[in-house]
Amino acid sequence: MSVHTPTAEKPLPDFDIVSTYRSILAGDTELTMPVAAIEALVEAIAHSSVSTVAETLALLEHHTAVLKASIANPISLSAGTDLFQRYLITTLNRPAALNLGPGDDFRAIRNHLLSNGRLFVERAKQSREKIASFGKHFIRDGATVLTNGGSRVVGALLRRAAESSTMRFRVVYVLSDSKSSDLKEGDQIVADLRAHNVPVATIPDSAVAYSLGEVDMVIVGAEGVVENGGIISRLGTYQMGLLAKSKGKPFYVVAESHKFVRLYPLSQFDLPIEQKVLEFRVADDTKGAASKASEDEGIADMNGTKAKCSGLNADDAVDFTPPDLISGIITESGVLTPSAVSEELIKIWF
Amino acid sequence: MSGPVEGEAVASPAVPAQAPNDPTAPAKTDAKDAKPEGDGASKKMSGAELKKLKQAEKQAKRAQAKAVGPATVQQGGIPKENQKQKEQKQSQKKDESRPLPIRRRPSQSNAVPQQQARKESKRDQKQLGLFFGHLYSQPRQHSMVGASKDVHPAVLALGLQYSSYVICGSTARMVAMLLAFKAVIESYQTPVGTSLARHLTNHHLSPQIDYLRGCRPLSISMGNAIRWLKDLIIKIDPSTPEAEAKRDLVEEIDMFIRERVTAAQKLIRDQAATKILPGDVILTYASSSIVEQTILQAHKAGVPFTVIVVDSKPLFEGKTLARKLANQGINVRYYLITGASHAVKGASKVFLGAHAMMSNGRLYSRVGTALVSMLARSHSLPVIVLCESVKFTEKVALDSIVGNEVAPADEILSEAERASLLPLEPHLPTTHPSKNKNDDKSATEDTKSGPLDVLKWVEGSENLHHLQVLYDVTPAEYINMVITEYGSLPPSSVPVVHRLSTNT
Repeated sequence: MSVHTPTAEKPLPDFDIVSTYRSILAGDTELTMPVAAIEALVEAIAHSSVSTVAETLALLEHHTAVLKASIANPISLSAGTDLFQRYLITTLNRPAALNLGPGDDFRAIRNHLLSNGRLFVERAKQSREKIASFGKHFIRDGATVLTNGGSRVVGALLRRAAESSTMRFRVVYVLSDSKSSDLKEGDQIVADLRAHNVPVATIPDSAVAYSLGEVDMVIVGAEGVVENGGIISRLGTYQMGLLAKSKGKPFYVVAESHKFVRLYPLSQFDLPIEQKVLEFRVADDTKGAASKASEDEGIADMNGTKAKCSGLNADDAVDFTPPDLISGIITESGVLTPSAVSEELIKIWF
Repeated sequence: MSGPVEGEAVASPAVPAQAPNDPTAPAKTDAKDAKPEGDGASKKMSGAELKKLKQAEKQAKRAQAKAVGPATVQQGGIPKENQKQKEQKQSQKKDESRPLPIRRRPSQSNAVPQQQARKESKRDQKQLGLFFGHLYSQPRQHSMVGASKDVHPAVLALGLQYSSYVICGSTARMVAMLLAFKAVIESYQTPVGTSLARHLTNHHLSPQIDYLRGCRPLSISMGNAIRWLKDLIIKIDPSTPEAEAKRDLVEEIDMFIRERVTAAQKLIRDQAATKILPGDVILTYASSSIVEQTILQAHKAGVPFTVIVVDSKPLFEGKTLARKLANQGINVRYYLITGASHAVKGASKVFLGAHAMMSNGRLYSRVGTALVSMLARSHSLPVIVLCESVKFTEKVALDSIVGNEVAPADEILSEAERASLLPLEPHLPTTHPSKNKNDDKSATEDTKSGPLDVLKWVEGSENLHHLQVLYDVTPAEYINMVITEYGSLPPSSVPVVHRLSTNT
């Protein structure tokens, strides 16, 4: 997490988008990356003195680029920035929709944008609760739920289910022994659930197949939901999906709709980020050719190299779970099939 | 291109004279022919008279269609015919016997046995009903003989190019058709007493379309374009001056081609080229212009990759593609479909062109595509379809049988293959009709039978049929991604984009 602030490449204003983004993210633990990014961008517009549409868009583009460059895994972040940009373009192109006369000046439009941007952030925060209320019905009485990672929305869903007195369910929680940031969140959720009298078993990644016989359903969170309805999520989700599919267990994804990314990966190695998961080495610790394995089914082996590489190493790495492994995606606007995601994205983008 | 076509256009009026067998027929034909010619000359007739003539023409056309298509038996609904029409029908049949001068289909050197073939195929098609019989209901037309006099020369030429596969491919056919329609519109004059919006679509464009359909069934994209064009024409304000309306239409057609084809293809290839990564082996089937453009674009961008072209008879479209790519310096391997399972092993991505994308996400494309994509799927290769949204249709297809296009069966066997089958002649069953015929005819021809006779064996055979379908349907599960000008989609989103692209 090295913060390098690219002050050099900033011809426009002196607004430090990256530190704003980080402070927003740090200030509110409930916040997800895309929402924090949007909030930071709104902040940036508020601090700037732009006076035309073109300027606003240029400013936004610039900040987005800076922000993306500063983060090792900008997939989830780009969902937010793209969405905001798209929203801006549509509203700026149709000022009439804002009930503004043609005579109104740009200032009014800008104020409208700012207030709406904040509204968006508010709504995004609420969406987690909404998802929890949709999703809790998926957990039946007596069910055993398998989940992983430190997704806050999964946590919210499980907590909500635990709070309802009519349901008894058990949770199998996959906690890797790594030092990823997810771990803390995961521990927190486990503690909360146990406090609510929900029996929780924690297992390592390697025990997923073993425990699957006891499990009735799988619920995972996602960093991004991509156009074909697949998800990008913490490393290890793909194998859970494959195993669940092979055992015929339903595999649900919970994700806010602002995590929908305009991205269409075809395989694990088609993601727009650099991951140092597969690193081939020989005995003497010289640099082996860190290559992308050409075979398609190569599941990234995360126990193999869990070491001192900069960038996105196995602890923070993500994988891509294709849509055919997913039974449903629970969002705040309803429960979608994977194929409906692209429809939702088309609605936003056209 | 227009040279030979015009030559034929000149030749066609001489046709009735060439039907010498029945001495009564030419005279009658002439009598009949005089009438339509009279129509053409006297444009200054009253509206009612014109209408009557139009009706007569229409009936005549129907009769013609019947004469050309022996299989109309299946279409039911036989309209009442008066004596005159029957006569015309007869004379039309005579026309068919004429040796057709220009036939560029590669597999056919000479079309002498046309009439015989027709007679036999009439019987054949009754038997073909098992699975594909319904596909023969529309007769194929390979010449301009019998074309309505309303058909514009540009369209006549186009029809021949369609039936001879000179213009092939869904998009190319659509663009060529629109360009021909531009010529049609430019030379169109609204008859007195009618309005452009009403007359052009129903009375002027329809014969052109019918003729094109006769040459080769319309592609999905052509259907979409025709629907768009008709819609456009109907919405023309009747008060618009004719010249202005025509100019607008021509401009709209140009814009349509620019937006829905040229720009769309650019967007698609820009996007698809990014999916070609260094070291990839791209497999493609047959030939698609958009796949070709994509590959060339990636190559120009300096990405090192190789290409596998899988191809099949009878059109061998992939040969041209392979040659073009190889000439550009791309490493190309060429397989026939029989070696597809081997080819798939070496590939890393599959790019496919489309004839159409169905609303249930299925891909309707050159026959063999389904096979290739299934193989790719079984090797878990990503299958990527490149398709302009103009080729999307609201139709659905569950299998390749209900909706398909049959090409003339004689295209299956190439000249060389026919020649190699010739030594088998003594093994023909003695009851074989074509053998009998040969025997009856004369001993002179009997000794020397040409490659064309092989086709007659098959056509005359009781239990052997040629079937050549042109397309097949690839299930949506075998397709990972569809790249359109609207972006990348899973196949399940095809109806959404289709709705978008037709409504706006």
